[in-house]
Amino acid sequence: MFALTVARRYLTSNPAQTVLLVTGVALGVTVFIFITALIEGLAINLTEQVTGNSAHVTLEPATRLAQILPGDDGVRTEGVALISTFQRSQIRTWSSTVDLIRSQSGVAGLSPQISGNAFLVKGEAVQPVSVTGLEPEGLDAITPITPSLVSGQGALGADGLLIGVELAKDLGLTAGQPVLLRTDRGGERLLTVRGIFKTGLQSLDSRVAFMSLQTARPLFNLPEGVTNIEVKLDEPGRAREVADFLAGATGLRATPWQDKNLNLEAALDAQGRTGTLIQIFSLISIIIGVASALVLSAYRRRSEVGIMRAFGISGRFIVAVFMLQGLLIGLAGGLLGCLSGYGLCTFLASLTGADGTPPLPIAPERGGYVAVLILTTLGAVLASAFPARSAARIDPLEAIQQ
Amino acid sequence: MSSVLQARGVVMTFRNGDEETQVLRGIDVDLAPGELVALVGASGSGKSTLLSILGLLLRPTEGEIQIAGQRVDDMGEKARAAFRNQRLGFVFQFHHLLPDFSAMENVAFPAAAPAGGISPEMRRRALSLLERVGLADRAHFPASRLSGGQKQRVAIARALMNRPELVIADEPTGNLDLRSAGQVLDLMGEVNREEGGTFLICTHDEHVAARCHRRILLVDGKVQPQEEKAIPGG
Ligand SMILES: Nc1ncnc2c1ncn2[C@@H]1O[C@H](COP(=O)(O)OP(=O)(O)OP(=O)(O)O)[C@@H](O)[C@H]1O
Ligand SMILES: [Mg+2]
Repeated sequence: MFALTVARRYLTSNPAQTVLLVTGVALGVTVFIFITALIEGLAINLTEQVTGNSAHVTLEPATRLAQILPGDDGVRTEGVALISTFQRSQIRTWSSTVDLIRSQSGVAGLSPQISGNAFLVKGEAVQPVSVTGLEPEGLDAITPITPSLVSGQGALGADGLLIGVELAKDLGLTAGQPVLLRTDRGGERLLTVRGIFKTGLQSLDSRVAFMSLQTARPLFNLPEGVTNIEVKLDEPGRAREVADFLAGATGLRATPWQDKNLNLEAALDAQGRTGTLIQIFSLISIIIGVASALVLSAYRRRSEVGIMRAFGISGRFIVAVFMLQGLLIGLAGGLLGCLSGYGLCTFLASLTGADGTPPLPIAPERGGYVAVLILTTLGAVLASAFPARSAARIDPLEAIQQ
Repeated sequence: MSSVLQARGVVMTFRNGDEETQVLRGIDVDLAPGELVALVGASGSGKSTLLSILGLLLRPTEGEIQIAGQRVDDMGEKARAAFRNQRLGFVFQFHHLLPDFSAMENVAFPAAAPAGGISPEMRRRALSLLERVGLADRAHFPASRLSGGQKQRVAIARALMNRPELVIADEPTGNLDLRSAGQVLDLMGEVNREEGGTFLICTHDEHVAARCHRRILLVDGKVQPQEEKAIPGG
């Protein structure tokens, strides 16, 4: 294509200006990528902080009511509000439900549980606890408990109990000691504290006790069912979609984590909008830069374009010459910007602050590279449309007479 | 008689607000194939205006124009552009070469742009034209590095690229010293003899006019009747 040859020649004839222009575009693209990777990284980071120790989707019997209660640390967590009826609400067909969930892609882990309220009694001291009975192999599926153990070990056994470090302190318990557990269903048993964990989350460390599902069954009067199934996903962002699917497929009530953390979702949305605004402005600055450079170039070359018109070369050809310049600048600047943006982000992500984590929670792989490359190229072509049209309209006579 | 160009009753009136200037007042021109014609006249007599009209770069206020047997004054813009590209050639006082392209590329440009590239045949034609204008050794020089006379010779080669029926030249030697002007003129004469094209050359230079077959004298917007010189070889 000859118009491309001419466009390339025009760009290479003034290398300094072209390099400057491409660098400008690349800079805009770098800003776009940096902001995208930062906003995405922040979202991942915040989501991880909030959901790292809890489920992404919770399945419960449809009839059971749950309340959103503010926890001690201000984070809204689900308080268990049981309805005391003789017929305990439960998921009886949980093993088939577990198979169904496990067969879904993107499921990182799941844990069928019996959740209930109880008191731990040690001598004179009595503390309320939320008891979670789970399959021992699912202990770390939702919350990494084993890695957070500060004493004892994670094997639950038939009468074992894992409690948080705050609770242990309140009751003066250490690993290996016995403690009496009395449930709100009237069950009572002497259990042994096998391990003490410290997750850093107040609500877990001061109020929760883990035991095996088998131990929980008689205590909560649930010989076969479970009260809830907790699901962890590879991508927390898909929780709502997965919850909708599971609710439809199982008839159970499926709650995505966002519904329990509405504040976080709003914050992430606001952050996302800020990012979008900066992205739009960086694209606009790219478009303005390319447009003004090409307007100048079309002006400088008016007599050349005029002679082409005198020789009967079509307006389409001249439009193509200028729009192809835009395309080449957009592509070159976009590719260069993607490289430098990725370089900048990986560099920032590799830095470590005082606490060993990067000072900016940047996600270099989430820079929106393909999107910015397409948008920049389209934007640059769009930016060249106006100078291209005005060049094609140059009157050959005016240009020849100068 | 078939004529390359036939213009009848060409009138050009420029309007600037309320002010009206009639530059051409009913001009008739006939050019036979192979003619080399000088267009002469005082400064401001309307020579460039007439050339622009005959070259389809400007629409006359009135008048009928036929080139190569085709009515051209009522054509649309696109058709006029295509006609200029295929049937006409232009040489201006200033060369107007594309500085970022080589001499060969400049010559081939009028053929290459509509076709989408320089074909081997275009290349051969451009090189042979450059050879004819004595610039075979400068074919791959960037146009910006040629001398003024060389540039104008490249511009002449470019005007001939598409084998035009009519070449319109507006003071082609106006910017050149005597020697270069002579070369340029020799060249147009040679090309005219060898390729048989028709040339209409506007000039102030008596040497140039003297070497043409005949002259058209423009006075006050009208063609002044002239004694004709004998057509050489005829
Ligand atoms: N666009 C225009 N608007 C108004 N007047 C014009 C325009 N173009 C040309 N003229 C006038 O028409 C007249 C003839 O101009 P033209 O350029 O054709 O003369 P010329 O014979 O080529 O002169 P020169 O030998 O100096 O080049 C001049 O008086 C000029 O001012
Ligand atoms: Mg003139």
